[in-house]
Amino acid sequence: MSGAKISALLISLVLASLAIADDDAPQQVRQELMKEVREAAKPVGNMLRENEAFNAETLMNSLMVFAKAADQYGDLFPEGSESGFETEAAPAIWEDRAGFDMALSEFADATKLAIESSPMTLEEARATVSPVFRTCKGCHDNYRVEE
Amino acid sequence: MKRAALLLVLAAVLAGWWILRPTTWSESELPAHSPDVKAGEKVFWAGGCASCHATPVNGRRAKGADRLLLGGGAELDTPFGVFRMPNISPHESDGIGGWSDLDFVNAMQLGVSPSGQHYYPSFPYASYARMKSEEVLDLFAFLKQLEPVASDRPEHELKFPWNLRNGIGVWKRLYLDPAPVIDLATDDARLKHGQALVEGAGHCGECHTPRDSLGGMDKKRWLTGAPNLEGRGSVPNITPMAEGFGDWSESDIVYYLETGFTPDFDAVGGSMVAVQENMAMLDAADREAIARYLKALPTGPQSE
Repeated sequence: MSGAKISALLISLVLASLAIADDDAPQQVRQELMKEVREAAKPVGNMLRENEAFNAETLMNSLMVFAKAADQYGDLFPEGSESGFETEAAPAIWEDRAGFDMALSEFADATKLAIESSPMTLEEARATVSPVFRTCKGCHDNYRVEE
Repeated sequence: MKRAALLLVLAAVLAGWWILRPTTWSESELPAHSPDVKAGEKVFWAGGCASCHATPVNGRRAKGADRLLLGGGAELDTPFGVFRMPNISPHESDGIGGWSDLDFVNAMQLGVSPSGQHYYPSFPYASYARMKSEEVLDLFAFLKQLEPVASDRPEHELKFPWNLRNGIGVWKRLYLDPAPVIDLATDDARLKHGQALVEGAGHCGECHTPRDSLGGMDKKRWLTGAPNLEGRGSVPNITPMAEGFGDWSESDIVYYLETGFTPDFDAVGGSMVAVQENMAMLDAADREAIARYLKALPTGPQSE
């Protein structure tokens, strides 16, 4: 192998590892997770809005995505991830960590209650799932900057 | 010669004084109206008064019933400087408890304080000017029966030349115009109601319309979005543009104003949360009227 080829290989290896490091940046992980939450919220929201027929299984799958996100989310905003990757995270997350954690735990608690209630009808879903949706704003109000 | 020059200077000073002086209405110009507190409450939510004037709780925006404690104290950090929100609770000395109907209408619709000072247009009187004075009096009646809140009376801290209040007289000559923004040749009562809500009390244009170099709304680009004066990013275009807000149906807009969710079930964020929560307090028919008006707007590309 020529020297040029070896250095080309080395450069591509370095670039590849950088790409992996990029994938692992908390900004991107949390963005992916939030996208999952939004995708999961869509069918549920449409059920509550009566745009779609009620489906207990779809609903439960979505609630499980919410629960996973609520569980992981708190760890995805470490010091040093305040900017970059077009993050919409507001500085308030780091300035008022307790408030952020509180807003997040409201989401987690509401999701847990909804899962435990295991709604089988639209009426039951309205009672326990609508409160989960209301907690979205709890974070988006103070801790997200809209671009 | 000297005398002519002196006269010229005197004339210029007088003209300047005339242009810059705050104009107000007199008692006889107020409509005869017995105010309706309940109607005033709707105006209160449509006008978003609480979003600026409710006293923050633990440094955060007031929520729920705390939105009715209007002691002020929140700050608005803009490129012009820091605006400090005044107390509009019915407190006799710290709030507006001592105000007359005339004081209130002059403040809301002409941007002039009871002592005859210009208010900064961060107080959206350029929009409130389009309201009916009867609605303004209804609002005053609603505010007067809320709980009085004592407070400090902090001053704004503006940068030069914005700290010169007389300049606002020029601004008003240029931009204070109670005429409707969009010429809607229509008999559709719902559409007209939507126009009144959006262009008047709702003051949507204050954030969603770009401003020119003197800080006036550029009505040619009405509601096509703007830079975010309160932080990063931009405020979205809410005209029915293709591949944008135009993809939202009237029912999508109504649902968003009621619940805070976009058609993709993204949750409302930033300063729009408070606005949406105010809109949720209106009647369904009001939200439907807003949606109809937004769908009827001339459209244009996103303003940055």
